[in-house]
Amino acid sequence: MSDKLKEIINKQVEKNDNIVDQLDDVVQLVGFVIGDEEYAVPILSIQEIIKPFPWTRVPQVPKYVLGVFNLRGSVIPLIDLRLKFGLPPKRQSDDTRFIVIRDGDDVAGFVIDRLTMAIRIKKENVGPPPDTVNGDDTIIDGVGKQEDKIITILKVKKLLQRDF
Amino acid sequence: MDEFQEILQDFLVESFELVEKLDEDLVELESRPDDLELLNGIFRVAHTVKGASSFLNFDTLTHLTHHMEDVLNKARHGELAITPDVMDVILESIDLMKALLEKIRDTSSDEGIDVSACVARLDKISNGDLSGLADAVAQEERKEAQEPKKEEEPKKEETPEEEEELDYENMTPEEVEAEIERLLAQRQAEDRAKREAKIAAGEEVPSMTPEEEEEPEKEEEQKKETPKAPAPSSQKSSSSKKAEDVKAAAPAKRAATTVEQTIRVDVKRLDHLMNLIGELVLAKNRLIKINSDVEERYEGEEFLEELNQVVSIVSLVTTDLQIAVMKTRMLPIGKVFNKFPRMIRDLSRELNKKIELVISGEDTELDKSIVEEIGDPLVHIIRNSCDHGIETPQERIAKGKPEVGTITLKAYNEGNQIVIQIDDDGKGLDPEMLKQKSLEKGIITEKEADAMSDKEAYTLIFKPGFSTATAVTSVSGRGVGMDVVKTNIEKLNGIIDIDSEIDKGTSIKLKIPLTLAIIQALLVGVQEEHYAIPLASVLETVRISKDEIYTVEGRSVMRLREDVLSLVHIGDIFEVERILDANEHAYVVVLGLGTSKLGLIVDLLVGQEEIVIKSLGDYLKGIEGIAGATIRGDGGVTLIVDVVALMDIAKETKVTQITSGAGSAVSEKTKASDYTIMIVDDSKTDRTIMRKALEPIGVTLVEAVDGQEALNLLKSGDYNVDAMLIDIEMPRMDGYTLASEIKKYNRYKNLPLIAVTSRTAKSDRMRGVESGMVEYITKPYSADYLASVVQRNVNFKPEFL
Repeated sequence: MSDKLKEIINKQVEKNDNIVDQLDDVVQLVGFVIGDEEYAVPILSIQEIIKPFPWTRVPQVPKYVLGVFNLRGSVIPLIDLRLKFGLPPKRQSDDTRFIVIRDGDDVAGFVIDRLTMAIRIKKENVGPPPDTVNGDDTIIDGVGKQEDKIITILKVKKLLQRDF
Repeated sequence: MDEFQEILQDFLVESFELVEKLDEDLVELESRPDDLELLNGIFRVAHTVKGASSFLNFDTLTHLTHHMEDVLNKARHGELAITPDVMDVILESIDLMKALLEKIRDTSSDEGIDVSACVARLDKISNGDLSGLADAVAQEERKEAQEPKKEEEPKKEETPEEEEELDYENMTPEEVEAEIERLLAQRQAEDRAKREAKIAAGEEVPSMTPEEEEEPEKEEEQKKETPKAPAPSSQKSSSSKKAEDVKAAAPAKRAATTVEQTIRVDVKRLDHLMNLIGELVLAKNRLIKINSDVEERYEGEEFLEELNQVVSIVSLVTTDLQIAVMKTRMLPIGKVFNKFPRMIRDLSRELNKKIELVISGEDTELDKSIVEEIGDPLVHIIRNSCDHGIETPQERIAKGKPEVGTITLKAYNEGNQIVIQIDDDGKGLDPEMLKQKSLEKGIITEKEADAMSDKEAYTLIFKPGFSTATAVTSVSGRGVGMDVVKTNIEKLNGIIDIDSEIDKGTSIKLKIPLTLAIIQALLVGVQEEHYAIPLASVLETVRISKDEIYTVEGRSVMRLREDVLSLVHIGDIFEVERILDANEHAYVVVLGLGTSKLGLIVDLLVGQEEIVIKSLGDYLKGIEGIAGATIRGDGGVTLIVDVVALMDIAKETKVTQITSGAGSAVSEKTKASDYTIMIVDDSKTDRTIMRKALEPIGVTLVEAVDGQEALNLLKSGDYNVDAMLIDIEMPRMDGYTLASEIKKYNRYKNLPLIAVTSRTAKSDRMRGVESGMVEYITKPYSADYLASVVQRNVNFKPEFL
């Protein structure tokens, strides 16, 4: 292999590293509202966001597991985050969406009240979860600070983990 | 190292296949000890395994197979007779070989298994220790064997080094290369020799002398034109004997030469293919549904016929495709059956009984996954038949039965199921004895025992902890086996059916669905939900009226012909909210599984459909009573009932009384606006007139433009409606239908429905009453009249005015 070729390859590697560095600085999230609070999950964990459609109830599960629905041939569980977070149930409105979140082979749909927007937050603006909820058990991954508000970032693994 | 692994894999696959065939051959060999073809086959297996294992440095295995080869080689040269004693040692060595192969598969090494004892025994045999008794036979056989020997000789000359174990480890690469080439050449030569042997009249001896060469032809003639002059050869007797051999062996040989055209496919690929077919089946269901919708809407249109044709072709091809792919996953059940002759042989020697095994239908095919699961239960059943079923020879003779007991193992297709039937002609099951035993062991209560039919008593043998053998033998009697049978068969959604007659024998039938991925299901409805029940577990469905259900000890039962069937409501199991009013009639789906039966009460039978089982995923797995889900023609998800679990749950589920009128508690009205009236009319003008008439009294008003919307509003529960004003003529859903739909719900039983219509005929009024309307106001009406009717019906308190 010629030296020139090596040089080019090295350059490309460097370039790639730079891109990764830039990406590493910023976290991309999708924000949504449940009740009065704004939450967010990493954009890459979201498979898709869809409008509500009918689902099938499943027996012998906690109230917050609404059931299962058909997403293009796959049977996917549907979880109501309002109920999961201990909020009173609310009728679905035009703003209600199902967020389909995937982590490896685990996938589930989550009912949220309203979407807000895609958010880019610098890594340094993401703080750890408050001490009171610290530990492995928490569903909170961190707290993102924006100019006028803070956003709770949820742990995808924890969301998709069966806890009953 | 990877390359080594690859070779190792090939070696293991090949060896296990060979060994599997071996068992069968060996048992057969015992009954036909001079079948040279069989012996050669067995010898080849030992030889192949030896060659490969020495190449792969599995010393223990090489050591063992080398000695096996010695014995077998002698046997096929007629220097050794195969007696049952010799056979025992050979079988033992084959078991060891299997153990070693398994060890290699698991650990990539063959260390840790002691073969020396077995090798010593093999040596003893090959050194002729047993020849004392075998000599005479051997002498005779040797004469016979002279010719076959000639066939072997050239081969032997070519392969003398083979017997020496070469030290491959210390070879230089060049030497190894050379060795491989030499082995290759040797193998080719062997193959050639074999081929030639086959070509030569499909049997025997490419002989050395021309005189002998003619002989086979003469024999052929002999076969065709019976008694001809015997060949003028010195070996007269032996040649005619040989002719017999030719006759016996020739067909077998020919069958062996037709090589099957097969390829090995990774099971994962087949699974993937099966998944895709599953998707296709779902799409097909959907297409059929759409087709029928379209048919309804555009009746009589010309394009319909074309559409119909396409849909039926698609569904036909899909079904064929599904069957074809299913077939690729099918294995003949013979694969499982093959190990039983050996097992029966061992068992009968161990138990000192004489047992013959008759196998039929071994070509019957089953899905690979089922074939893998079915082995264990069959082993247990057959062991049980040998140990408990078949009597000792003395007993049998005393009973006037033939000394040799027979166990028949049979497989055949029956509809969408495969039936495996195991019959024995032993002593049969004694229901009274079974009950007595179960009572002693506390498996059943006295009351249960009294109520039990004979058939139910037979099923007691499948209860955990049950064993009829008075003494525990190494074969059975620990009360584990038959329990395993039941669990495994139930896992496959199968049904067990036992029949028995004392001193005549026992017959056990296992009915198993052909495949597990795509199944026929019965769809049932309960309230507003649907569930799918695997059709294989459904015995029948019955329509009953409510008063046919009796309650015994807090559980529902019904009489089904002779039997008492315990019942459970599907709604009780799946916690279905009773929002719809219960019908006077219900349907009972009689489920049968393993040996138990259960009646499942449902509200509605929807129909039969082919469904594809999908898993609920990790998040929801393990929900009791649910085996999975399927996607229906309309795109919705329907849950599949797990009949096994259902039977268990049913035992604990008590009847919940149907709570009638348990609607939402009526809250106290404190002001006029607490009253909510729904106006249902498709005409804006009419709605406005009603609104104007009711606004003065201060009630809350909700409007809907047709029956469908009204029903949805009502079901949503957003409003606590106190009365409804309903127009009759409406699009989508008319007033009558709306009224009868509403009346289906328990909580709206007492909701006043007031018809407001321009239809004045008496028959219209009658229909209104039938559908549940309480008042009938004809247009035009005065505002005061409407207001007063509404007030009367909602018990409006005058002080709010």
